[in-house]
Amino acid sequence: MKHVASVAGRELRSLFVSPVAYGVLSLFAVLAGMFFIIDMSWFEQVLFQAQQYPDQLGQFNLNDGLLREFYGSMSVVLLFLIPGITMGVYAAEKTNGTEELLLTSPLTIWDIVLGKFAAGAIFITMLVGIVGLFASVLFLYGDPEVGKTTSGLIGLLLTGWTYVAIGGLASAITRSQIVAFLITLVILVTLLLLPGIAEFGLAGSASGVAETLRYLSVQLHFDPLLRGLVDTADLAYFVVIIGSFLVMTKAAVESVRWR
Amino acid sequence: MIQAKGLSKRYGDLVAVENIDFSIAKGEVVGFLGPNGAGKTTTMRMLTGFLPPTDGTAVIAGHDIFGDPIAARRAIGYLPESPPLYPEMAVGSFLAYVARIKDVPRAKRRAAVDRALERTALTEVKRQVIGTLSRGFRQRVGLAQAIVHNPPVLILDEPTAGLDPLQIREIRALIAELTAPSQGDTQHTVILSTHILAEVDAICRRVILINRGRKAVDAPLSELTRGGRTLDEIFTEHTAHDAADPAALPSKPIGDAESRSAP
Repeated sequence: MKHVASVAGRELRSLFVSPVAYGVLSLFAVLAGMFFIIDMSWFEQVLFQAQQYPDQLGQFNLNDGLLREFYGSMSVVLLFLIPGITMGVYAAEKTNGTEELLLTSPLTIWDIVLGKFAAGAIFITMLVGIVGLFASVLFLYGDPEVGKTTSGLIGLLLTGWTYVAIGGLASAITRSQIVAFLITLVILVTLLLLPGIAEFGLAGSASGVAETLRYLSVQLHFDPLLRGLVDTADLAYFVVIIGSFLVMTKAAVESVRWR
Repeated sequence: MIQAKGLSKRYGDLVAVENIDFSIAKGEVVGFLGPNGAGKTTTMRMLTGFLPPTDGTAVIAGHDIFGDPIAARRAIGYLPESPPLYPEMAVGSFLAYVARIKDVPRAKRRAAVDRALERTALTEVKRQVIGTLSRGFRQRVGLAQAIVHNPPVLILDEPTAGLDPLQIREIRALIAELTAPSQGDTQHTVILSTHILAEVDAICRRVILINRGRKAVDAPLSELTRGGRTLDEIFTEHTAHDAADPAALPSKPIGDAESRSAP
């Protein structure tokens, strides 16, 4: 496992010598700014209307009224950006022929899988850092709760890391970056829609199935973190999902040797 | 230095390589010959640990490829058929990365990269991005990544493909230098596959000819060409599909043989 950093370092270096990383960072920053302004003006309107009922004004705060919406929007932005970031992570190794270099070097498969995941996770952390920058602006003009602000960011981070693990698997099972992109997008959108499917599609059917589907959705575990509720069960969900996708990715990378 | 013991690779019913044995001593330069699809690349991939053999094993520099795969891989420099390159990286940083994953200690990495650049005459393109290099340069970067960690064993799959005659001569000189007895402890052992029989004549001292997954010939070059026979004749004799009447087959140059990519 001593080469995790070697693999991660190369991965990040490749990301940042091409315009892709800068493009994604700028796009993400622009979208974050946009959503921040939209959510802020919406919150302002709500507050304005609430002036008529001064006794209820206490219900409104920056965390629940603004940041929760903002974080939620950014998680959807991540959902659409991450397939593009991860699509080449293994597929490009195959088309470059560098898969042969990696697998004939004194590396373990875990070095490769964890190194690549770490690189993706670091990049996502930078993106979430941008979100954190916007959120921190609120501290200059208001007094959001530090705990809730942070737990939401952690939720966003874990959601992004989960998407990276899923995208990695998709890239490992195909040679084509486009196919990897589409597979990732389909899985992520399905995960996003799971609560809806459980509620409407399976209404009336055995409640166990609907409940399980709902439980599998990222949203269900992201939401408590947005509300400032840090539950070990939710954290465990992210760890288990990321872990199982990494194990599957390892098997997919190794499968070259089984053929 | 390299021992193949009953190496076999089967894909279902398809036999790619069947029961290949050989032993190569330190400092030897062995030419791996055979028509396209004969199993050369598959055999090389098994030696390098990219593909596990279905049967048999190999020992590289004293390390069994199953018993101690990491140590076996560390002892090998491998240039695959298509050089493994990251097009977006600069030559120097790519080689530094390869040196790192091949376990070259941090303190020695810069020197290792510089030496590999120098040996493959790439020093002036050190900062250039690989994707902008010509085919010949890329092939040399491929060779540089194979030798950067100074491995005792070099496995080269068509090392001179895509090079011009001058570059071919340089590569041959480099291989000769790497395998010279004067190298002492760092004397390399080389297996190279090629389609160019003249190349075997020029640098190899021994020939292993593979046909349809089996070893057909394994002998020193001097012995094979004794009595004035040319490699071309030997090759035709052993790879002809109708062994009874090899003369009946058109003896077309091997390079033109229909290409069949290895699985």
